[in-house]
Amino acid sequence: MSDEARQQAASSHDAPHYVAARVQQALAEDERTSELGVRVDVRGDDLYLRGQVECAERRARMTDVAGENAPGLKVHNEVTVMEVRGPGEEETL
Amino acid sequence: MKIRVAAVGDVHLGEDIRGRYREKLQGIEEHADVLLLAGDLTRHGTPAEGRIVAEEFGGLPVPVVTVLGNHDYHSDAEDEIGAMLDDAGIHVLRDDATVISLDDGTRLGVAGGKGFGGGFAGKCASEFGEPQMKSFVGHTREIAERWHKALKGLDDVDHRVVLSHYSPTKDTLAGEPLEIYPFLGSYLLAEAADAEGADLFLHGHAHHGTEKGVTPGGVRVRNVALPVLGRAYAVYCLGGEDPESC
Ligand SMILES: [Fe+2]
Ligand SMILES: [Fe+2]
Repeated sequence: MSDEARQQAASSHDAPHYVAARVQQALAEDERTSELGVRVDVRGDDLYLRGQVECAERRARMTDVAGENAPGLKVHNEVTVMEVRGPGEEETL
Repeated sequence: MKIRVAAVGDVHLGEDIRGRYREKLQGIEEHADVLLLAGDLTRHGTPAEGRIVAEEFGGLPVPVVTVLGNHDYHSDAEDEIGAMLDDAGIHVLRDDATVISLDDGTRLGVAGGKGFGGGFAGKCASEFGEPQMKSFVGHTREIAERWHKALKGLDDVDHRVVLSHYSPTKDTLAGEPLEIYPFLGSYLLAEAADAEGADLFLHGHAHHGTEKGVTPGGVRVRNVALPVLGRAYAVYCLGGEDPESC
């Protein structure tokens, strides 16, 4: 395989679609995160994470896992930490 | 004969938030008569996390009934976790039913289990082709068959609730990507409730979904996943025709 062809294969393998899929998979399967419901979007050199987690520590670990699986991309962790309120009003059924 | 049912799912407890949920359950007996948990109690399904769940939800002043979720199966320790919860006085449903009797004589029947996916009528997977596909859909069908039986057995109760991790309807998935609906629930679960009759169907799992929906047969569905509720638990009052009575 020529250098050019190899480069092309690597870059098509690293198309944004596949990077996003790889990061999403890692966030689900990595012991540090185990987060299934995260939206992952890649736009150019930027990677965005969106969703909700239970505490700030969990959010921080997502940045680490995403970064490791998307070398060269800037991770924007837009995940919010859930604010759990009291029980609130009941509903009569 | 009214009863106030508190419910929440997907609390995903772990070492990093140990003790925090317990605070939110202070005074629950003033708001509810029973607490139902819709699975995904842990993050990885390890026995260590199971112990945290037992500490957090054990010994409450109201009876607690739970099902497990997919996360609670992740470390192949679901039996061990189930046994820990049983020991902590938390009733774990395993595709069967239990009856809770209140002091005033009201009897609440709760039937269910984890549930599973497959999709929704007209747009669902079927038991055809590869063995992997057959076992995927077959798992849900077997679960639904057991729920039919469990609900049938609840013949002398005032109210019946189905408790599940997976969803019986698309209604409460609104907000989730359409592409993953088949992994979020199955219409077979709704069919069991519709055929045998129930007052309420509770589920979790769909963190981006919506709280309120209804099965094709008219059973009220509530997605009580914590990220959907945004509150420690929801309270549903059954049998309170007079809104003031609950
Ligand atoms: Fe969950
Ligand atoms: Fe789940």
